[in-house]
Amino acid sequence: MSIAKLENVHKVYHIGKIDFPALRGIAFSIDEGEFLSIAGPSGSGKTTVLNLLGCLDKPSRGKIFLEDKDVTALPTSKLADVRRKNIGFVFQTFNLIPVLTAMENVEFPLILGGLHDSKERHRLTEEILTEVGLKDFFHRRPNEMSGGQQQRVAVARALVKRPKLVLADEPTANLDSVTGEEILELMLGLNQKTSTTFVFSTHDKMVMDFARRIIRLRDGKIESDQKVNTK
Amino acid sequence: MKMLLKLAFRNVFRYRRRTVITFSAISYGLGLMAVGICLYNGVNTHAMDSIINTQTAHLKILAPGYFEEKDEVPLEFTIDEPQRIKSLLKENKDIKGIESRILFQASIISGMEELPCLGVAIEPEVDPLVFDIKDSIKDGRFLEPSEPKIILGSTLARDLGLEVGDDCVLRMFLSTEDFIWNALDLEITGIAHTENPTVNRQTVFIPLSLAQEALSLDNRVTELAVRIEDRNRLSDVRESIQSRLATLGTDYEVVSFKEYASDFVELMKMRSRVQVLIPLMMILIATLGIVNTMLMAVLERTREIGMLAAMGMRKMEVMLVFVFEGAIIGLFGSLAACAIGGLGGWYLEAKGFSLSFLGEEITDMLSFLPMEVFRGDLTAGTLLFTLVLGIVVSILASLYPAYKAVKLDPIQALRHVG
Ligand SMILES: Nc1ncnc2c1ncn2[C@@H]1O[C@H](COP(=O)(O)OP(=O)(O)OP(=O)(O)O)[C@@H](O)[C@H]1O
Ligand SMILES: [Mg+2]
Repeated sequence: MSIAKLENVHKVYHIGKIDFPALRGIAFSIDEGEFLSIAGPSGSGKTTVLNLLGCLDKPSRGKIFLEDKDVTALPTSKLADVRRKNIGFVFQTFNLIPVLTAMENVEFPLILGGLHDSKERHRLTEEILTEVGLKDFFHRRPNEMSGGQQQRVAVARALVKRPKLVLADEPTANLDSVTGEEILELMLGLNQKTSTTFVFSTHDKMVMDFARRIIRLRDGKIESDQKVNTK
Repeated sequence: MKMLLKLAFRNVFRYRRRTVITFSAISYGLGLMAVGICLYNGVNTHAMDSIINTQTAHLKILAPGYFEEKDEVPLEFTIDEPQRIKSLLKENKDIKGIESRILFQASIISGMEELPCLGVAIEPEVDPLVFDIKDSIKDGRFLEPSEPKIILGSTLARDLGLEVGDDCVLRMFLSTEDFIWNALDLEITGIAHTENPTVNRQTVFIPLSLAQEALSLDNRVTELAVRIEDRNRLSDVRESIQSRLATLGTDYEVVSFKEYASDFVELMKMRSRVQVLIPLMMILIATLGIVNTMLMAVLERTREIGMLAAMGMRKMEVMLVFVFEGAIIGLFGSLAACAIGGLGGWYLEAKGFSLSFLGEEITDMLSFLPMEVFRGDLTAGTLLFTLVLGIVVSILASLYPAYKAVKLDPIQALRHVG
């Protein structure tokens, strides 16, 4: 089943009087449970694609579907609701709310999602934090944790509400390669265990190797879209 | 909601520098404002009290024509039967005391020196019911009825180098135009040091019967000064006196202290217009402090705001985080402001502050003011006003930065390198 679909998507940025076409006719479909990498050199449009998939932005032309539902024309406030419910984000940096502990950060999306039962919230939070290997870090603040640990918290936070889709824009770019691999392994493990769909962007060859499918972008177009059978 | 409050609370303590700046802006700005209000209220009431207690009483009964000429203290508009009016009003429970008085132009001569002054002839046995002169006797004692003695205002005595027990000559003018006068040789029995510098500088007191004889007024007086029990009933009492007087078939006027001291009342009104500006400026300073630091906070936390929005937090909720932050700082700032205002106000009420540090020459120049020591008046209302104002101001002042925060496009905010 298709969990997300882009149809002939164009995105034009307006910089003053100049129109800059960042995406020029992108089309692909993502199935449930995929572990997909968007690859390509800097400026090729990776972030733009993820933003569109994540309902943070609207395309200039073309259509976007989430679970066969057309979200292209939804107003901004409705898009926020879609994000709140269905999409988990992992960002490159400055991922967590600095004044909240690991637990509170992970709990946050549950509160936003309207889960009022605090026992249940804590149970889910502790479960997922244990899953990402942070059993002993429940009450640490972000600045008391390493980059890799912070990124684990971010992964836990993206997953705690059991979203349809987790989007990660260069999740390893700020980490050393060993830690980066650990994060990727973690995400892959969760993907296999929970069959949550993951889409992440990268320009790092080694990171791409984890993906089961790689879409390569160049100058706002899809250069190649291939399934890989690795590891 | 609880989550938002928690976030706001933690942010307040995380961004210490901002919190300290905002907190100080509110606590100093509004604290000083509160002290200012205390002083202002105190000066207003005490100044008026001072005038009432030493010069005007609450009400004066005057002969027609006197009021228009009152600055000349004329002797030709007199009340002819003061005793009859007194007994007429004896039943009135609202009245604490009525005193027959004569005001006249005079001068005091001591050796080669002569200084002009205002003569006040009083009934020594009634005066303490109406005025505060008796309590303000610094040296010597108060007058006895009919004795040929005099009380001088303290500044006047000092300027003439006179002390209790000295003799002086009181020259009393029957008419200013013709320079007809009469002189009395009197012993000084007391020096009055009232809270009102005007009185201290220019007034002398003698027994009524002495003045009536010397000014050939028989039983007549120029005014009846009335003190009432409850100042809130001023206009009622005035009307009832007026209607009682009408039964006598006279057309005597009843004038309140507000009319009698209208120059001063005007001065106070003008001053109050100027003084609204001071609190307004304090509020402005506090507001700018909050707006500025909150805008800084929004800028500093651009990425965080972007992330919150990306996670699906609603605009309203993002705004609330910032408004709560402002409100929390505002609450603590206002509490501190109340503490500052309370301490300052309490000090001003208990101790007051005197202009005497400016030296004698300047205080003499300022002696048109009806008091020497400025006392504050601290009320719970002032503190409550400060508290509420502080919270309201800080909430209002964080609205704009909060609005700025939600105006941020989450995509741009996330791209923001910070
Ligand atoms: N808000 C914007 N305004 C103008 N141009 C933009 C904006 N966002 C992106 N672009 C441009 O669109 C193109 C695609 O940007 P995008 O961020 O999607 O690339 P990317 O593949 O994520 O690059 P990187 O690897 O550097 O993150 C770039 O040339 C970029 O300069
Ligand atoms: Mg990018």
